[in-house]
Amino acid sequence: MTRLASPRRRFSGKGAAVLAVAILAIVLPFGLDAFQLTTATFVLIAAIGALGLNVLTGYTGQISLGHAFFLAVGAYTAAVLGGNLHLTAAIWLPAAGVVAALCGALVGPTALRLRGLYLAIVTIGLVFIGQHIWFNVPGISGGPGGRSFPPVTFGPFDFAPGQQLTLGGLVIDHNGLYYYLALIILAAAMLFVWNVARGRPGRAMQAVREREVAAAIMGVSLARTKMSAFVVSSFLTGVSGALFASYLSFATPDQWNLLLSVKYVAAIIVGGIGTVWGAVLGAIVIFALPAVLQSLIPESSSSGLPIDDIASIAYGGLIIVFFVLEPRGVVGLGGRVASLWSRVGAGGGVSQEAQTIDRSEATWAR
Amino acid sequence: MTAPMLEVRDLTLRFGSITAFEDLSFDVARGELFAVIGPNGAGKTSLFNVLSRAYVPTAGSVRFEGADLLRLRVSALAGAGVARTFQNLGLFGELTTLENVLIGRHHLMRSGTLRSGLWLGYARREERRHRAAAMEALEFAGIAQYAHAPIGTLPFGIQKRVEIARALAMEPKLMLLDEPVAGMSVAEREEITALVRRLHRERDLTLLLVEHDMGMVMRIAQRVLVLDFGRIIAVGTPAEVQRDERVIRAYLGEEIDPGPAERSPEAGRVAEVRR
Amino acid sequence: MTAPIQLLFQGFALGCIYALVALGFTVVYRASNVINFAQGSMLLVGAYLVSVLATGLNLPFVLAVIAAIALLAAGGAAFQMTVLRRMLGQPVFVLVMVTIGLSIVIDAAIPAIFGGNARILGDPWGASAVSVGGVTLNWVRIWTVLCTGLILALYFVFDRYSRYGLAMRATAADEEAALAVGVPVGRVYALTWAIAGGVAAVGGLFLAGFPSSVNPALGDAALRAFPAIILGGLASPPGAVVGGITIGIVQVMSSGYAPAWLGTNFSDVAPYVVMILVLLCRPYGLFGAAPVERV
Repeated sequence: MTRLASPRRRFSGKGAAVLAVAILAIVLPFGLDAFQLTTATFVLIAAIGALGLNVLTGYTGQISLGHAFFLAVGAYTAAVLGGNLHLTAAIWLPAAGVVAALCGALVGPTALRLRGLYLAIVTIGLVFIGQHIWFNVPGISGGPGGRSFPPVTFGPFDFAPGQQLTLGGLVIDHNGLYYYLALIILAAAMLFVWNVARGRPGRAMQAVREREVAAAIMGVSLARTKMSAFVVSSFLTGVSGALFASYLSFATPDQWNLLLSVKYVAAIIVGGIGTVWGAVLGAIVIFALPAVLQSLIPESSSSGLPIDDIASIAYGGLIIVFFVLEPRGVVGLGGRVASLWSRVGAGGGVSQEAQTIDRSEATWAR
Repeated sequence: MTAPMLEVRDLTLRFGSITAFEDLSFDVARGELFAVIGPNGAGKTSLFNVLSRAYVPTAGSVRFEGADLLRLRVSALAGAGVARTFQNLGLFGELTTLENVLIGRHHLMRSGTLRSGLWLGYARREERRHRAAAMEALEFAGIAQYAHAPIGTLPFGIQKRVEIARALAMEPKLMLLDEPVAGMSVAEREEITALVRRLHRERDLTLLLVEHDMGMVMRIAQRVLVLDFGRIIAVGTPAEVQRDERVIRAYLGEEIDPGPAERSPEAGRVAEVRR
Repeated sequence: MTAPIQLLFQGFALGCIYALVALGFTVVYRASNVINFAQGSMLLVGAYLVSVLATGLNLPFVLAVIAAIALLAAGGAAFQMTVLRRMLGQPVFVLVMVTIGLSIVIDAAIPAIFGGNARILGDPWGASAVSVGGVTLNWVRIWTVLCTGLILALYFVFDRYSRYGLAMRATAADEEAALAVGVPVGRVYALTWAIAGGVAAVGGLFLAGFPSSVNPALGDAALRAFPAIILGGLASPPGAVVGGITIGIVQVMSSGYAPAWLGTNFSDVAPYVVMILVLLCRPYGLFGAAPVERV
């Protein structure tokens, strides 16, 4: 009878931490002011998108700077179905994901023919071509002037500004409603991705990222793996884009630009590539940054400063610093801290055999 | 007389004007432990790369259990029953040992993205079953205690055994072992040799082995094929091959007639060894 | 029928700028396999440097250009020596991400420091032009083509006949072997980045020439050089030139002749569309070759 050293046992300490974070996330809105709550909501919505990018780039290693395109697809699907056709969010939210996933399925095959830089630049092209399309379809996007996006509605109940929900003694306002919706979706997405990652498809994706040829020889279908990655990633991104536009309530086509893609790439790098929590942590750092900067700079002088530019400088700087010092992002830093901790404590872990390789051994090789 | 498991006919591989190997024809019988040896550059790993569909041969045919191997896509090899290890390790650096071996189980599992993501009962049960099988493979290779270590932290010798465990976990009919003892100490060589011998005896496997280490090959191989400069120079049992003139010449070279050197004033000039 | 020839000439000149960008990029890539995403941003810096030196410090234009080239070359080398050299042994992907980080910093720092408004380049040509057979040739464009030709010729001579050119080719072929025979690999890398910087300064100043001006949007314009790089195949300097000129001509011709249903300003995305179409047939560009994967 094989004794399986179950990895589940290791998670109990982590399980408590996750529970603590969950509780914190649930009660947080009641301790924040409106501006902070808005920021937190945008962070949660962005985290869904970052999770999607992590599936594609983090786990499967497909470099993509085309994230802005898929966000836009989700957003405009929501606009058409929710705004033009007045359908409920129960329809347009998943539909945004589905339409984006279909686009992902169309782009996927290019990843089979193209590698590395070529794929990256095609995805950059996708963003520009996407923007060109958005500028030229005023019926969908409102043209260069932009359009308004529908609030989330579930039947007669809508999340429009001014709306309130009273539960027991607690009052949840418009911002709070979006916050909890995003939180629920994010939690579900994190669970899904975590399951995928620790199961057969996740292993296949990581194998493809590490060594494609060896993975194929092991029986992994490169085509199916990459396509799955694109579809899952684009679905999550579409949902994120739809929620983002809905919460923002108004957007112009030039918002779906390359810098937006880069912000998401920065998020998964800073947070930790190829981990579920990395996407969330990275989203927190990157998407809360402008708000944090604004609150750090005293009121009087903030009006003239180009906050966005300073934030961008900070993103770029963070990417450089992280990659020079810690390619594994915040999660990697956490890992280093954790291993330091365990070394200080009881000597656990695997005992390493001394390196006894003697390469000077003569063989019959010439 | 049962049909051979592997039939190679007139296999040729050229890269532009460079010939890796030419007109190779040989059979590997079911259940055999068959070794391919030869000096460096003889074309052994290229042969493996053709058999595992990483390279496309210029000419020739390969039949595996009667079917045309060269028509298979790379990712269909596992399902057909062919597994291989890599000389310079084809392990996936960011995964743990167990996860690496579980990749070997990939083609035997069915859970897709949706079933895994929702963690349905089917996916859960399948995962458990195959983890058990993967652990068995690790235990066979004697490295079960490293199951949860990140593969990058393990010594080279252990990693080599993980490669073999992973190939075993694929439940193949034919296992291609690419220089399993290259770069190892004497003690490690002994362990791997014993492992390969056990693989052959205890599991229903046909083994095709590429090696430099004559000692290992002569001890465990049933038949040996010797390559030199991309051509077959001998096939037979280890004893036969060891005695073969051409094999000796290929490995040791010949001595030059030392006459002129003795007459030369520079006595003590070493006689060259050349082909 | 002077309109198409006019456009052809303008496209050719734009293509020369792209060829310069592609050259700077290819030089770095061939030597170190690093994909310098910041190449376009470096053009932006080049344009601003010339503008600041010529109009802010009131240096004579030629001096401003030379100083800008020297400064940007030094900057490129400095970046390689301080940041990239620390990352020896890291996978290439990591270094590429650092260049992306650099491009973000530059693209944001420029408007943060100089504001979003356009600056004057300070060049002596302005809108002046010469008329040849009914075709108007702007002096800026003429100088673009001449300087590009000169730079390419200089680079060719350097690459073929100088010691460091040989050293660069050796490092590109096999870094370890080059180290083993005593090639000063560190200096070679710094040199490739210096070339990338210097070439970017020239490209930037011409990109900002008439009818454009020195403004932050130049960074986006320089991004269109990437399809040129892809088209030419990453590691081939002649390919870079051909790719650059092709894309330049495609872009300008489409601004004149693209049908209405393709949308307004199709010429902005035409380079990318062409690139994608080419890649569908030839995944490694027109001149590139599939890398042999050793197992």
